[in-house]
Amino acid sequence: MPGKVPRKTIFAFIGPSVIALAAIGIVPLLYAAWTSLHFYNLTKLKRVKFIGLENYWDVLTDSVFWEAMGRTFTLLSIALPLQLALGLGIALILHKPGLTLLKTLARLSLVLPMATTYAVVGLLGQVMFNQKFGVVNQFLSPFGGGNINWIGDPTNAFTMIIFWDVWQWTPFVALVLLAGLTMVPDEIEEAARLETKSWWTVLRYVQLPFLMPGLVAVLILRTADTLKLFDMVFTLTRGGPGSSTELISLMIQRVGFRAFDQGLASAQAIILLIITIILSQIYIRVFYKEV
Amino acid sequence: MTSSRSIWIQSLLLLAILLVCVFPFYWMVTTSLKTQVVALESPPVWLFEPTLANYREALFDDGVLRTLMNSLIIAISTTALAILLGVPAAFALARFEFRGKKDLWFWFITNRMVSPIVLALPFFLIVRQLGMLDRHITLILIYLTFNLPIVIWICTDQFRGIPYDLDEAARIEGASQWIILRKICLPLAMPGVAVSGIFSFIFSWNELMFGLVLTRTTAKTAPAMAVSFMEGYNLPYGKIMATSTLIVIPVLIFALLASKQLVRGLTMGAVK
Amino acid sequence: MKFKKMLGTTAMAAGLCFGASNVLADGHAWSLEKAAEPYAGTTVDVVFLLRPGYEAIEAMLPEFEEATGIKVNIIKHPYENALGEQVRDFVAGGDLDVALIDLVWIGNFAENDWIVPLDKFTSNPDLADPDLDMDDFFPLVLNAFGGWNGTIYGLPVDNYSGLLFYNSCMLEEAGFDGPPKTWDDLKNVYGPALTKDGKYAYALQSKRNETQSADSFARMLWPFGGSFLNDEFKSNLMSEESLAGLQFRQDLMQYMPDGIVAYDHAETVNAFSQGDVAMITEWSAFYSTVVSPETSKIADCVEIAPEPTGPAGRKPALGGFSMAVAAQADDAEQAAAYLFIQWATSKANAGEYLERGGVPARQSAYADPALADTYKFIPALVESWQDGVPEFRPRFAEWPEITEIVQEWGTKIMLEEVSIEEGVTELGARMEEVLEDAGYYSGDKPLAQ
Repeated sequence: MPGKVPRKTIFAFIGPSVIALAAIGIVPLLYAAWTSLHFYNLTKLKRVKFIGLENYWDVLTDSVFWEAMGRTFTLLSIALPLQLALGLGIALILHKPGLTLLKTLARLSLVLPMATTYAVVGLLGQVMFNQKFGVVNQFLSPFGGGNINWIGDPTNAFTMIIFWDVWQWTPFVALVLLAGLTMVPDEIEEAARLETKSWWTVLRYVQLPFLMPGLVAVLILRTADTLKLFDMVFTLTRGGPGSSTELISLMIQRVGFRAFDQGLASAQAIILLIITIILSQIYIRVFYKEV
Repeated sequence: MTSSRSIWIQSLLLLAILLVCVFPFYWMVTTSLKTQVVALESPPVWLFEPTLANYREALFDDGVLRTLMNSLIIAISTTALAILLGVPAAFALARFEFRGKKDLWFWFITNRMVSPIVLALPFFLIVRQLGMLDRHITLILIYLTFNLPIVIWICTDQFRGIPYDLDEAARIEGASQWIILRKICLPLAMPGVAVSGIFSFIFSWNELMFGLVLTRTTAKTAPAMAVSFMEGYNLPYGKIMATSTLIVIPVLIFALLASKQLVRGLTMGAVK
Repeated sequence: MKFKKMLGTTAMAAGLCFGASNVLADGHAWSLEKAAEPYAGTTVDVVFLLRPGYEAIEAMLPEFEEATGIKVNIIKHPYENALGEQVRDFVAGGDLDVALIDLVWIGNFAENDWIVPLDKFTSNPDLADPDLDMDDFFPLVLNAFGGWNGTIYGLPVDNYSGLLFYNSCMLEEAGFDGPPKTWDDLKNVYGPALTKDGKYAYALQSKRNETQSADSFARMLWPFGGSFLNDEFKSNLMSEESLAGLQFRQDLMQYMPDGIVAYDHAETVNAFSQGDVAMITEWSAFYSTVVSPETSKIADCVEIAPEPTGPAGRKPALGGFSMAVAAQADDAEQAAAYLFIQWATSKANAGEYLERGGVPARQSAYADPALADTYKFIPALVESWQDGVPEFRPRFAEWPEITEIVQEWGTKIMLEEVSIEEGVTELGARMEEVLEDAGYYSGDKPLAQ
């Protein structure tokens, strides 16, 4: 272990980051906390006034807020298992020996969705899923699905959001799990394969332990990213039709920058932050025993 | 022959993966080459006479070029800043013992989880009062909220992977911690630093919400620009896709070139 | 600029009162060039939308810039972002010198003192064009788009009235020799006859944004005698008339394409232009789109009529934009901004503006009956602007909050996620909450909409 390091040195190393992140991460939060206790509407700045916890009360009793929150977790609970299942499948395919060239190409192609600008994914979604001139309906038409109204129907629109979330983030899961699979020592895996022909047994008893850390990380990051999800949905449906795809970030953005009620939006944001912190606490403390 | 059949199945599946990942980009690029009339054909056409008019219009008439430059400046600067600040901090977290270290690390990482909308609201109000709306520096700084945690997360892991005896030896020779970081650990940790830089760059390049809220014209980023073509009156799909292509292609090429590091990065924070 | 100083009050009176004469007391004519001389080199920042009227002004702009030496810096935004962008600019003390005001934003902009009353400039003979002729604007349009609480702030620049666009070929084929006169006919007679083989009788743009409030919700409220608010500023949505209008909209949906709740203007106009929908009620500004063979397959079949009438008469949708001078601009910028606004909306330019795809609010621009041959929308437009409901959507400062509520619950009703009664109860309660907070019920604020 490294010996004791003078405080001054520690501070010199870590201080700038702490100060920077405090200035840009904590000061705004304090400001948001202050705003959330006020009637603070951008178009009524003449009438800013302290109203205590009224905004919080309004948020907590607002069914629309909780519906948006529920929608966000519904998305997570559908998309994440899909991403895990597909990602594991892809990882296993890529882990199988042989077909080096094709595998390399597939692995490279997996990098693309992840790196794509999220807003562009939504724009692309609008073009591809259009009822009339969208290519998705063209693909589906031999199967009788040529006239599906993706953007105009609440359920379909939500399905579309799930599709794009899965498209963009399954590669992430696949690559993380693939890395886990490659950490299994060859001799152990081969020995196991000699004993059983069932891939499931190998997966369950030999490979899974090596996948666990990756799975935990996926769980943490996907949860956080779903709570943050804004860009793709904003450009694809703007939360519509009706409220069917209005996730929590979209709702807060709408209240804060379209209805201009920064006080209420700040209260919503703070509540979202608290939920995020609690979830991260649970995840990180329980699963991720680092440092 | 079960094994040849399974090879067949495997290659088909691999092809399917390849297709699903790549096809949207094919469609984006081809749509960007269509005139509005062709783009609105129903069912969509696959063969048509391509035109570069959308690109010309987007780049030069609508000023997408400038927003691309803005995005580039902002993404590079914030990445550099994040590395400059984050690497020493990561080194300290990996190497030094001090009270509250665990909490500090946790706090850094939590920033990665915070929804940008939580910060966008107060940030807008503060920046407004400081008169710093629509400036590059504003975005460069606020992007640190997600870049710094990435750099710290990945680099802490990386530094921890470097054996202690190396710096121990140096320390006995009287080297300060700065020297140890610069001369011994940093060269060995370069892969991790590079990975975190790549991530920072990609995340910053792709960011939309802060760009939307904190810029207007001078510092407008490319994603914010792409969104601003979405007028309910008339959706110029070709132009939107041309702008999208211009935004996405550079970052995709970058990601492909750096794909090895990228994949390593994913697994660094994740697989332990 | 010595001669300007020499102009006394007489000149001011002459310039203003005798608008027809542009020769001032000392024999010098007012001219844009001279008026702009002190402001050459000034830059005017203005938000424009991505719509035909703005393209028209942009195309005409070199003429103005050359004559004045004033540079007009156009910042383009889609409508959806325009309010947010401007609010953020004004609260931050940004660079906008001209406010582009949708009629529903005017109460808000005026109450915040973001815009300057127009008479500051019209009373200044150095700036005011003797030919300004305010009376030439359609009074309804001027007051609704540019006025708030008895003060005129802006001059109408991009002007709309809801019109019935119909595909005369489809109507003839179905045996109709004219458009429906009433909403009831549209639904009960034209609806069933025209909805078949994948074609629909009608499309009502209803996307959850201002389109839902203005084009869909309000459009069905007023002709049936409904309204957003009653005289006490309480919700009037539970009234029999309001409910009838909303019920009518719900019933009419069977003759509209699926997913109408996701239709914005672009989708609706496109469906009409492709011949998939026989009738739409859209803004006058779409005329050029639906009659241009480049964007329309049915250009030759397009005919235009005023919107149908309901039990309460004809209450066509009213919408449009005025430009006003921003209070945050300095004196030179304000003057330059005013000159730009005055020029863009002037009588002299109205003809060219019309030709280039804009819709001027000048009565004189439509005086020539022959114009109706080229621009089929003119008779219906002029008729619609004779009288209308300025508070078609309330124009008070609370509208940005209220429209969000209307959009949300309006679409929920259409999607049948809630019943009409449930929806308007919720909508009304939330709307009253906003108005309560604003101080209308405590008497702190006059009941102006």
